[in-house]
Amino acid sequence: MTILLSSAILDDLHKHAESHYPDEGAGLVLGDGEPETRRATRLLHRANNFELESRHRRYSIDPKEFLEAEREAEKLGLDIIGIFHSHPDHPARPSDFDLEWAMPWYSYIITSVSRGKAVESRAWRLSDDRSSFIEEEVVEVRSGSPEEVR
Amino acid sequence: MSLIRLPTPLRPYAEGRKEVEVEGSTVADALGNLARMYPMLTQHLYDEGGRLRPYVNVFLNEDDVRTLQGDATPIADEDRLMIVPSIAGGSAEARAVRPLRPVDHTALRVNQAFIISLLGAGFIAGSMVLVAVVALVMALGTIFDRPGFLPLYLLLRGRGPFKPDIVQDNPEPHRFAQGMGAVVLAGSIGCAFVGLEFVAWLLAWVVIVLAALNLFGGFCVGCAIYYWLNRLGVPGFQQSPPPGVTPGMRPTSPG
Repeated sequence: MTILLSSAILDDLHKHAESHYPDEGAGLVLGDGEPETRRATRLLHRANNFELESRHRRYSIDPKEFLEAEREAEKLGLDIIGIFHSHPDHPARPSDFDLEWAMPWYSYIITSVSRGKAVESRAWRLSDDRSSFIEEEVVEVRSGSPEEVR
Repeated sequence: MSLIRLPTPLRPYAEGRKEVEVEGSTVADALGNLARMYPMLTQHLYDEGGRLRPYVNVFLNEDDVRTLQGDATPIADEDRLMIVPSIAGGSAEARAVRPLRPVDHTALRVNQAFIISLLGAGFIAGSMVLVAVVALVMALGTIFDRPGFLPLYLLLRGRGPFKPDIVQDNPEPHRFAQGMGAVVLAGSIGCAFVGLEFVAWLLAWVVIVLAALNLFGGFCVGCAIYYWLNRLGVPGFQQSPPPGVTPGMRPTSPG
């Protein structure tokens, strides 16, 4: 399993994570939903909807915003292929809480931020039996830049 | 037949279909039939206890069914249901935080009204037996995780002012508040037993006043204490207050 991310998308992920520090930032990843090697073509930044005092360790996206994003993706002929979020001062590994809320099939891109600086982005998919995450290889693609929607 | 739209991640478990036609007169029926048609979907829709997973939101046309009648919302032939995932996660290791659930605040208010009336009657009649009855009902309610006087509310529900008032809320703080009331009343009975009658009635009055503050002022002191313990990170007090609500205050009804 591989996810192709352009340098511009990776850069955007890191900047977004840093701008939300010490809170978690989150959003949706659009692209083609190929089962094995998928390509992310756009990021949709979304507000962290979790209650204020827990935003440094939690994120949530309003279902209505998700519905709108799904319609937007459909218009562009794309799919929502994943969700990105940051882990401030935590490694880019999914937590048990991430596991509890995970949907199958999606790519979960996690960006670790240490003292305000983005460290790395790693991608994960839920196993079929929901028991764990399986790491997906992130391949940086140098050409092309994403059309970004905020 | 109604149409259910599936989000992309669930389509592989339903032969790749984006929309599925299902029979059913309520949301729960339609989802149950969907899971029967595509058994592979079941584990992603329901947890081990048969409850809908926390990330599963169901929209009927444009409305979240939780703002309607939840699972029991009736559906008609031309209706369109959409399963919309709740996207959530975060860095902290697992704490058993649960999402907000529908809580019937009329049931809570009826509970408070019975507590106030019976304790008041006990005080007037000088009957510690009534205090003991209220303490027992509250203790049983806490153990079984529901308002102690729920059976009486169920008899009244739907009549006159007893319309359900369903609010997205945490049930845990209300359970804690009821348990706290039961403990204070147990203290009251204990005091009466050893002859401290004044203290016994004082404790009973504490419960009356706090229940009245909740019933008439919408402020639950036990819930506020629960959320304060949550802020301190005390184990067992995982739930945070609903977003935008002062800890202890009654959240507003949807819509």
